[in-house]
Amino acid sequence: MASLSQIPSSLSFSPKPITKSTLNLLPRRATLSFHPIKSGTNTSTSVVSPPLEAKAHQEKKEEETASHALVSPGTNATNEKKLEVPKRFKDPRWVKGTWDLDQFVKNGRTDWDAVIDAEARRRKWLEEYPEATDTDEMVFFDTSIIPWWAWIKRFHLPEAERLNGRAAMIGFFMAYFVDSLTGVGLVDQTSNFFCKTLLFISVLGILLVRNNEDIENLKKILEETTFYDKQWQATWQDDSSPDSKK
Amino acid sequence: MARPAGRRSLAVRASATSPRLTGRPLRVAVVGGGPAGGAAAETLAKGGVETILIERKLDNCKPCGGAIPLCMVDEFSLPLDLIDRRVTKMKMISPSNVAVDIGRTLAPNEYIGMVRREVLDDYLRSRAAAAGAEVVNGLFLKYDAPQEPNGPYRIHYNHYEGIKGEKGDKRTIEVDAVVGADGANSRVAKEMGAGDYEYAIAFQERVRIPEDKMDYYRERAEMYVGDDVSPDFYGWVFPKCDHVAVGTGTVTHKADIKKFQAATRLRARDKIEGGKIIRVEAHPIPEHPRPKRVSDRVTLVGDAAGYVTKCSGEGIYFAAKSGRMCAEAIVEGSANGTRLIDESDLRKYLEKFDKMYWPTYKVLDVLQKVFYRSNSAREAFVEMCADEYVQKMTFDSYLYKRVVPGNPLDDIRLAINTIGSLVRASALRREMNKITL
Repeated sequence: MASLSQIPSSLSFSPKPITKSTLNLLPRRATLSFHPIKSGTNTSTSVVSPPLEAKAHQEKKEEETASHALVSPGTNATNEKKLEVPKRFKDPRWVKGTWDLDQFVKNGRTDWDAVIDAEARRRKWLEEYPEATDTDEMVFFDTSIIPWWAWIKRFHLPEAERLNGRAAMIGFFMAYFVDSLTGVGLVDQTSNFFCKTLLFISVLGILLVRNNEDIENLKKILEETTFYDKQWQATWQDDSSPDSKK
Repeated sequence: MARPAGRRSLAVRASATSPRLTGRPLRVAVVGGGPAGGAAAETLAKGGVETILIERKLDNCKPCGGAIPLCMVDEFSLPLDLIDRRVTKMKMISPSNVAVDIGRTLAPNEYIGMVRREVLDDYLRSRAAAAGAEVVNGLFLKYDAPQEPNGPYRIHYNHYEGIKGEKGDKRTIEVDAVVGADGANSRVAKEMGAGDYEYAIAFQERVRIPEDKMDYYRERAEMYVGDDVSPDFYGWVFPKCDHVAVGTGTVTHKADIKKFQAATRLRARDKIEGGKIIRVEAHPIPEHPRPKRVSDRVTLVGDAAGYVTKCSGEGIYFAAKSGRMCAEAIVEGSANGTRLIDESDLRKYLEKFDKMYWPTYKVLDVLQKVFYRSNSAREAFVEMCADEYVQKMTFDSYLYKRVVPGNPLDDIRLAINTIGSLVRASALRREMNKITL
């Protein structure tokens, strides 16, 4: 599972969540047409019965090549028409607006990982090809039916492992350096206020800054929280007018 | 929450020190005859102030959602026949078309009123006229600041007689104070140097759909969220008197508004199929108040001041309320029109308004920042809307403009559920990034 999951990341040159500027389907079609083979290997990462997945991909591949031909003349009119005639999301396990959990049974129990995968794929599909809402079959799937431990096992545990690993490494080397610089051993460090502060800061740092982008993101978030307040108080800033002498 | 930064005491008795007007009442010009102008003019006239209301287009059919909360009907004593439709059901639709119905918690007498702006604006103006205000059909051009400290403002405007294609007749009048209620592109704001604000563009098409499809929208409004319909706002289908308004808006990607509109139409396609577009309109929506809302004896109210909430984009109620509050401050500061007012009286109105509605604005701002960030946040948002407690709180705060603290246990449960929703949605997002279709 771990090795297979590396394949998609090296392939994932497709743009991340729709670059806000556009519903521009044309370039997306172009990138998709490179994939037919690779999407085949992709399927094996999800814990889903392969034949179903492959069939779905087969259908899509054909539609893709067909629609690619339609769109390549690349006139605006055809593009508009493409928007009017979208390919609807289809999956045998998606029944009447929700996932049929009976179809996700593996070894007598519901395979929540498969449900998560299926929902992720559905959302991805709809993000790429937005669909008209259907009043007869309104979607009402709620992710909270997937139990909390399934989410933790799948998402939290690997991340927690990573962060704890970082904390352990940093902790070990910090303890070593402090000891070599000051001669204060590990046990004595734990009762020292300054060392405890350093520890607190490093734990906070590991939790908050996980990627390089996080530093910028954190700064932006901090600014954002007070920006609106500043806009409202702007009218009070110019209180230097003589009226206040009263 | 928004405390005056200078923190100088503004609680002064204006009437004690401002000069008494001899032989005439205070004269105020209200520029703009929308909800803000109409409400301001009525309150001023009732308070004994000589009011002139200058509106450039008396039959203006404004592009506007047209939704008013219940408290507006009460506070402004609006006759119920002004309301074309009562929306009691709202559908929130996520990027992946998860649909949630909100409105289950509404009492039978609670609804969101949908009005036609031309009808509402006209009604408020006629009330102002009945109270004694002079309603003039004219286009405000500019004003001359007073020559001496207590001198009058000289307003220049184009007077229209109501003849089609007329050029207008340049006139001037002298007033003691100016209330700018002339909307998002306010000229008064420009004249007084109020500064600019960021604004969203709301684009809307009015579509007349077949009767059987109109049935679905009889009491129902829809809100579509997603990157396809808008990167920072929402797409909507609102029912009007005999047609629906399909629209969307954006602050950051104004150039792509047509694409967003096409996406909105796509999402609602089956429900508006066979409809005919009878009108296309667009208008700016302010995102935050202007840097300066008062300058000497000139002040701004309504959209001109920038009183539109985030997240929902609601402006009609706040326009009317701010117009009324401003007028009340002027009436009080001038002791019913007998004394001249000055900037501190107008600041009293700002202080009162900011204090009363700051929590509402701030909460909506936080909601927008948290839930309109990305598709995953929007999915979490729609999921949260299914919760009854959320619906009750949302409608209470929208309909009555009060933030009633609920049961703390419910609040904690709500907080946990919100965090849970957001975490699940972003976990799914990470899975989505690994998938290539």
